[in-house]
Amino acid sequence: MSQEATCSAASSSIANETVGQVVDRGPISLGRILTNRWFLHTVSIVAFFWLWDWLARSNVLGAGSSVLARPHEVLEQLAVLTREELAELTLWGHVWASTQRVVIGFSIAAAIAVPLGLFMALNRYVNAIVKPLFDLLKPMPPISWISISILWFGIGETSKVFIIVLGTFVPCLLNAYNGVRLVEPELYDVVRMLGGKRRDEILHVCFPASFPAIFAGLQISLSIAWTCVLAAELVSARSGMGYIIVQGMNLSQPAMVIGGMAVIAAAAWGTTLLVTALERKLCPWKRKIVGL
Amino acid sequence: MIECRNVSKTFIQKGSQEVPVLEDVSIDVQANEFVVILGPGQSGKSTLLRIIAGLETPTTGTVILDGEPVTGPGADRGLVFQGYMLFPWKTVLGNVEMGPKLCGLPRDEARDIAMHYIDLVGLNGFEKHYPHQLSGGMKQRVGIARAYANKPRVMLLDEPFGQLDAQTRIFMEQETERIWQTDKRTVLFVTNNTDEALFLADRIVTIEGKLPGRVQRTYTVDLPRPRDLTGKHFLEMRREIIDASVLTL
Amino acid sequence: MTAYREVVVRTPLALKILPIVSVATFFIAWEIVVRTGVVPDTMLAAPTTVTQLLFDKFTNVDPDGALLHQHAWVSIQEAFGGYFLALAVGLPLGLAMGWFNVAEGLARPIFEIIRPIPPVAWIPLTIFWFGIGLPGKIFIIWLGGLVPCVINAYVGVKMTNPTLIQMARTYGASDWQIFRQLCIPSALPMVFGALQIALACCWTNLVAAELLAADAGLGFMITMGRRLAMPEMVVLGMFMVGLTGAFIGVIIDRVEKRLLAGIRR
Ligand SMILES: Nc1ncnc2c1ncn2[C@@H]1O[C@H](COP(=O)(O)OP(=O)(O)OP(=O)(O)O)[C@@H](O)[C@H]1O
Ligand SMILES: [Mg+2]
Repeated sequence: MSQEATCSAASSSIANETVGQVVDRGPISLGRILTNRWFLHTVSIVAFFWLWDWLARSNVLGAGSSVLARPHEVLEQLAVLTREELAELTLWGHVWASTQRVVIGFSIAAAIAVPLGLFMALNRYVNAIVKPLFDLLKPMPPISWISISILWFGIGETSKVFIIVLGTFVPCLLNAYNGVRLVEPELYDVVRMLGGKRRDEILHVCFPASFPAIFAGLQISLSIAWTCVLAAELVSARSGMGYIIVQGMNLSQPAMVIGGMAVIAAAAWGTTLLVTALERKLCPWKRKIVGL
Repeated sequence: MIECRNVSKTFIQKGSQEVPVLEDVSIDVQANEFVVILGPGQSGKSTLLRIIAGLETPTTGTVILDGEPVTGPGADRGLVFQGYMLFPWKTVLGNVEMGPKLCGLPRDEARDIAMHYIDLVGLNGFEKHYPHQLSGGMKQRVGIARAYANKPRVMLLDEPFGQLDAQTRIFMEQETERIWQTDKRTVLFVTNNTDEALFLADRIVTIEGKLPGRVQRTYTVDLPRPRDLTGKHFLEMRREIIDASVLTL
Repeated sequence: MTAYREVVVRTPLALKILPIVSVATFFIAWEIVVRTGVVPDTMLAAPTTVTQLLFDKFTNVDPDGALLHQHAWVSIQEAFGGYFLALAVGLPLGLAMGWFNVAEGLARPIFEIIRPIPPVAWIPLTIFWFGIGLPGKIFIIWLGGLVPCVINAYVGVKMTNPTLIQMARTYGASDWQIFRQLCIPSALPMVFGALQIALACCWTNLVAAELLAADAGLGFMITMGRRLAMPEMVVLGMFMVGLTGAFIGVIIDRVEKRLLAGIRR
């Protein structure tokens, strides 16, 4: 539950509404304006950027402009990157390079891990074989595989995709597995009573019932995938958003580093929204879950 | 039609303990008869119904359906579950047409049958709704329609109205009687409510309140239908059943 | 009730043996694959080699400059530093965001800006800011642990039963009292859930931070293994990371159970 909630995308929650009712509505007053949500959001964002700008201007963090860039410098840098090529690619080229890696790795992992997880949940013997191996390898963070994957596959695409596959494999498999195990067992009885066979139980109960859990796993995987691709690109790459960040670091250009961070945040956010939309589409029966 | 012969059931619980739930239960149900099994909570009623459904195997004894011993679940018996047990990912129509589809009927035919029974339980207009958009009573109707849609020879209902409020419950009881009279079947109905039992049953089998559950008595109810919940005979029988069952508690 | 008869429930023998067989097969296959040269030993080291190195590393500082347990100790220090800071900041913040509108209004936009940035992406900036010493890594780890702490605490408060809140209001409880006596207790299970999740996040980010900017620690050992083309050191580092992580996970799990038991009473 907690894992699901942790990674569910930004959406208004049930609890939000119900707890919100408690706030009584009085006439408009200064206090009410000051505690208005949108007002506070605005204050917070303005304060954030102002503080950032101030920090960048006033050398508190250390020597000069090589430590932090001002917000508008970051924007200018990004604009420059969309026009001028860095290592033969514009900003879009780098975004695409990273996204491609994420999508490929993520798809491979999901395609293997989800069926395997379902299979493990459905068959005790498969479970007895796979689970211990899985438990053995699970505690190693995917990032710790970067070195060995470079030894194996060099610094090309394969090693990056490999890291992403490893990283996203775990949550995909675990959630598919748990999704099936959490199915209300009487639903299987319903299918059997209606004249269904084992095949129907799997088709009509296991799969749909584990769908929401699988999607939660996909969401978690996705954020891990972005972390992995970034880490891999930071260690060694000729393209991708991690490469932009590394270049910024090597050239002592914080604007480029922060620009890269902003772009990757946007990309991660975008893919999360995409999966959420897909989930809405594919699981119309699912009610909203509490989330931030 | 259904014959339970000396059915006993003992569960083995997690702590490796044996829990006897049913002991030596023998019940006979005639074709098209409405039999109510009446017993307090935790007396093994659901277990008995699941055994008849073929979802559990009795520890000893057999269940015989039309001369054949029951060995597993099958579409010739329709079970309405105590919790609603609808498929949350299917619409009302999807839930109801599932049985016919699983039995290999073509799509259109399955749909027609499903629509017929959705109509019969009074849910027309709600075919496209998902279970979470329905009230408890409506969910239970879907459960009933789903069991009926398979045209089972025997309907098994497990406290179908246990979670409803008193008014809806009475209404649903009347509906059940109506549906049963339009579409005659053998019905085995489990409840813990004496009024409900008396209102619906041709025959009432009471189960003792302590584990293991045993058959206590059988009452034949030959009051004319629809029954008057406050009629003299009704109240007399009610008193008799209650007196007898309170003694065993 | 009568005492029921005890019976023994058996699990099939195969189910007991299969896990052992599968793990054994894994290691044996690994050993064979390396020994026979199917996979060259520049790419992978056999388990026996790794074990040898494991014992060797307790007494030999070469070639990476520190003993194994020193590396592990550095990593644990960093991880716990970042972890506890994340708990100390994230949990109160999340709880406050869950209950006080002002806190949510002010903190949420910033949180939403920072959340999608993988903590790994901060590494270059922290190198600018703190160099490659302990503070920079603690910062990265702190960022990684912060997000799940805030989210779980927030969700925990939001899941407080609204009826209870309304009841408290009818008894005239103040906002602060409701927060202290109702919201925080009901958020506790989620908060404890955060302990594990945050730890996993911290541990992952630790490795990332050490891969890129470190002069000691398990992640550093892995990097050195690659630079020196010593696959056995890479594999040893990976196993140590996994083992230490799992070990800390078990400890946290114990603590969590103990604390939860205390609450239930
Ligand atoms: N699969 C099982 N394993 C172990 N014990 C079980 C199992 N199913 C039922 N029991 C036990 O059998 C007893 C009777 O359960 P059952 O569900 O048949 O009662 P019931 O009469 O239907 O009660 P209610 O009116 O509350 O539905 C209970 O004490 C229950 O704990
Ligand atoms: Mg029951």
